[in-house]
Amino acid sequence: MATFKIKRFNPEKQPEPYMEDFEYDVPDGATLLDCMNTIKWTMDGSLTYRMSCRSAICGSCAVKANGHAVLACQRQAEHLYDENETIKLEPLGNMKPIKDLVVDFTPFWDKIDKVKPYLETSSKPPEKERTQSPEEFRLIDDTSTCIMCGACYSDCHVLEVDDNFLGPAALAKAQRFVSDSRDEATLERVKNLSEYGGIWDCTHCGECVERCPKPARPFYRIKEIMTVALEKGVHNNDGARHALAFTSSVKHSGRLNENFLPLLSKGIFNIKGLLELVPIGIRMLLKGKIPPIFHKSVEDVDDIKRIFKKLNQ
Amino acid sequence: MIKHDVVIIGAGLAGMRAALEVCKDLDVAVLTKVYPSRSHSGAAQGGIAAALGNSEPDSWEEHMFDTVKGGDFLSDQDAVEEYVRAAPRIIYELEHMGCIFSRTPDGKIAQRKFGGHSKPRACFCADRTGHAILHALHEQLMKNAKTVKIYNEWYMHSLVVDDGQCNGVVVSNIQDGSVEVIHAKSVIFCTGGYGRVYKITSNAFASTADGVMAALDAGIPLQDPEFVQFHPSGLYRQGILFSEAARGEGGYLLNGAGERFMEKYAPSRMELAPRDIVSRAEQSEMDAGRGVNGEGYIYLDLRHLGEARIMERLPQIRQLGIDFIGVDCIKDPLPIQPTAHYSMGGIPTDKFGQVTIKDTNTPVKGFFAAGECACVSVHGGNRLGTNSLLEAVVFGERAGKSAYEYAKNADFATVNEAQEKTRILEKFEDIFQRDGTESYNDIRNEMKEVMMSHCGVFRDKQRLEICIKTLKGLQERFKKGKVTDKGKVFNSELYEILELGNMLRMAEIIATGALNRKESRGGHYRTDFPKRDDVNFLKHTLMYKTDEGLEIKYSPVVITKHQPAERTY
Amino acid sequence: MKFALFTGCVSKGATRELMASTTKAAEGLGIDFVEMKAAACCGAGVISEQNPMLADALNARTFAIAEKQGLDIVTICSTCQGVLKKSECNIKGDAEYQKKINHLLQEGGHQYDGTTKIKHFSNILASDEGKALLKEKITRPLTGLKAAAFYGCYVLRPSELSEYDDPDNPTEMEDLFELMGATPVYYPSRIKCCGFPIVMMNKKASLEMAGNALVDAVESGADCVVTGCPLCHLNLDSYQPEIEKMISKKYSIPILHLPQLVALSLGYSPKELLMDKHIVSTRIFQKMFPSS
Repeated sequence: MATFKIKRFNPEKQPEPYMEDFEYDVPDGATLLDCMNTIKWTMDGSLTYRMSCRSAICGSCAVKANGHAVLACQRQAEHLYDENETIKLEPLGNMKPIKDLVVDFTPFWDKIDKVKPYLETSSKPPEKERTQSPEEFRLIDDTSTCIMCGACYSDCHVLEVDDNFLGPAALAKAQRFVSDSRDEATLERVKNLSEYGGIWDCTHCGECVERCPKPARPFYRIKEIMTVALEKGVHNNDGARHALAFTSSVKHSGRLNENFLPLLSKGIFNIKGLLELVPIGIRMLLKGKIPPIFHKSVEDVDDIKRIFKKLNQ
Repeated sequence: MIKHDVVIIGAGLAGMRAALEVCKDLDVAVLTKVYPSRSHSGAAQGGIAAALGNSEPDSWEEHMFDTVKGGDFLSDQDAVEEYVRAAPRIIYELEHMGCIFSRTPDGKIAQRKFGGHSKPRACFCADRTGHAILHALHEQLMKNAKTVKIYNEWYMHSLVVDDGQCNGVVVSNIQDGSVEVIHAKSVIFCTGGYGRVYKITSNAFASTADGVMAALDAGIPLQDPEFVQFHPSGLYRQGILFSEAARGEGGYLLNGAGERFMEKYAPSRMELAPRDIVSRAEQSEMDAGRGVNGEGYIYLDLRHLGEARIMERLPQIRQLGIDFIGVDCIKDPLPIQPTAHYSMGGIPTDKFGQVTIKDTNTPVKGFFAAGECACVSVHGGNRLGTNSLLEAVVFGERAGKSAYEYAKNADFATVNEAQEKTRILEKFEDIFQRDGTESYNDIRNEMKEVMMSHCGVFRDKQRLEICIKTLKGLQERFKKGKVTDKGKVFNSELYEILELGNMLRMAEIIATGALNRKESRGGHYRTDFPKRDDVNFLKHTLMYKTDEGLEIKYSPVVITKHQPAERTY
Repeated sequence: MKFALFTGCVSKGATRELMASTTKAAEGLGIDFVEMKAAACCGAGVISEQNPMLADALNARTFAIAEKQGLDIVTICSTCQGVLKKSECNIKGDAEYQKKINHLLQEGGHQYDGTTKIKHFSNILASDEGKALLKEKITRPLTGLKAAAFYGCYVLRPSELSEYDDPDNPTEMEDLFELMGATPVYYPSRIKCCGFPIVMMNKKASLEMAGNALVDAVESGADCVVTGCPLCHLNLDSYQPEIEKMISKKYSIPILHLPQLVALSLGYSPKELLMDKHIVSTRIFQKMFPSS
């Protein structure tokens, strides 16, 4: 006998959400969506959620099960039970609930829109298809599997505290164009994506990779954009400077020069940015936490330098 | 009062392509009961057909012949010709828009083999072609956001038709329950198919005959409704689609004895015979007790393709096997059965997307249709794989063009908004006030069961009559269903009830069409009339709704290049 | 138990108390840690932003060094752990790529065969052998101490790279707390992100994330937060004063490195474990567990 603890919300009835339990014997192989349908169609017709294809391609049925976003049709209920054969169902996070498990996707779509999610070409297309090699296809293969389900958006840790962040789905969508050999606006794209709210605001928590029901894995796509942005010389921001300083530090000594890194990340002429570092700098100094000024290299650092050289770094 | 020059119902491939055609200088609205990217077009996997000749030399003539023969000679050949001739341009345009395709080593669009096609002409993106095109068109719609207004999660209830002219649609906002009338000069329906009347179907829950029923209610007959395609490789018990591409890449179909049984039914094309033939073959094997373990399924065996090829060409369906039935097709064969997949029938249109009452050759002014909900007919009695994605884009463009031309020269007509709205509001109230002694869930399940067993792959008079009788009984019980949610905000229960109402009527239409067509052709097979009868039935069914019930008329098939011949593979 | 110890950069610099306490904990348990002095920085997921292959090559070299010594690798930083596991996955999952990487390493006399295991110190302790060792060597049970674990993202996600049994609901650290006599405090934020990776780029968001975790831990009744990652430690401890200003609350909840907690239970004094080097005072430990 499985229990479903569902977070209900009906603005027409009461302003606050409330929990409601449903119990029944779930047959083998039933997906979470099957369970939701059974509850709606045989126990409470007012249970409201989105669904359509039930085959993990339309992206409608993402919900939070036991605190983490899943695609309801893709997961077997028995794999989601907690130790009490219970599944707690809540609407997706970072979006406003409309009713029960249905949330307002407007900000999600607005952010997709912001990354200019369409091919930008100024040149006239050829008579037939533009050519693209299988290797070039592979660069956008993973990201193009995204079904816009919102699971990544729901569980993103940065979005919880900073609504300005474009979010994993929009950034993964952006990568689909940044890395598309046919797109001609790459530089402009990575410049825009390097601004506040873009790639450098991702906190690398991996939540989006974990929750993505497809091979899209947004965080890895964000990193791919970072690589392109750095290659294209978009260096005038804290995130890019941080990456460059970090790599440079390891190149010189095989390890991180923690004293230089914050300074170089902010930019040594960036007075305002450097001032931000003063409070923590003082605290660390007073507690004797400042790393030794004399920065030692690791043993056999020449081998490390050789590898850098071999890779043209 | 909401006014748009053109309103398009349905935001799948056909709907979005039509919108792009119109938006250049007209005010367009696209209305969808889901979101554009949720449209069922996205579930198409295998490919989109065009005689590009990137893999082997090919020609539109061959594509045309394959399509006509695949349709068992019920296709209107003038339309087929224009449709296949437009295909290469359509594909290139999609690619120019940014659509992602799998590529050949020299960078061209890759093409694979597919059932019923004599040449490899299925352009594809791994095994998610529909998804790729859907998102490419959606991206274009976002690019044109200033000129296309999208009504997300709005439901279309009825067509406003006066004196043979279409003046708008009556709709409601699912999110807040408000009912509105959209005045339009042109209305385009791109509302998809109705596989959900069947128990085992590849279709999304949203495929519920809403568009075709609205057209029927407006006095327009439905063309060839009895022709429903059963796709051979639906996941056992669930119906989820495993693309024909799996067979296109070389997969085998095995019965319980481990035999590649297609040798008996289509020795030349084997697993790549057209879908109706393969589904019947599978059903015959299962009915004869030769299913796997004597049960109702067949094996789709991909093991010999090897991991590399499967991961490159069929990664999504491999994941479907793992997620939905715990089978990894790299290691084990997949259990499959025929699944209701595509509706060849629909709203009758000419080859320009203009809805036309074909027995009187009367166009319904201002009303257009494209995609699966329309019947041109290019697919005739059976659709070849990869021809539907093509149809949606080709006729989406054409219907868009026709709607654009019409709207440019038309005026808004007066609509009795209050009356139209009231009708729908009363319908809601009627549903809320019902007896409540019947379970909609039970009614729906019984409909799906009887359609599957009595109007499925194999049909006969006796079973069809029982089917129709059962459906009529269900339609009566429907009037007494129990409703829990009587609210306005996102009342998904209400919409499911409306959809069920449409499906019950559509099911009856399919069964009635099947009963009246005393022959076997394409996807419609009568065990009591197993032969094709070109003398009496080389014609399109037109099913009308009248006060006395359903009435059938006919319209001729246009034959140009290919006289009906024996259809063997 | 003998392992190649991958110290990571920060454990010897801004959080040198981590290295100090790791040494003591190993000493107390009788674990032999061979410090990997020639290993390069793991890259922290940052080098791979610029050049993914470079990051993988540097880490492959580290793996090769351990393999030559016939030892498995132990990390004391969640970030190092996650980053190393990612490089391992990238290389081992692609034979062609592995060849390319080994070609780069060749001249330095290294070759990565894919045999060395990479585990976090908490995984070692949570193993049957580790638990038995801990049980045997504990001299000072941490009775009365309510400890909240903070795992650190990189050691949990993505789950296929995690060495924990159930990365969505890990219990390894809490089990260790219990073993050491402390009372584990469960709270939702224990598996969330501390925000450190963006403290340079978006300080407000970064500190809000850390702040949410601290508030959650405190309101769940914790006396201290114990983390397996020195970068989490930096955000939770070194930035705590700024966080307190931001949220207008003064919690002053001490943040410990896991090896410090372990070493305390083995009888070492807070001073020996450089616990006076923290930004947020660890005085409660001085009181609860004075010098032996």
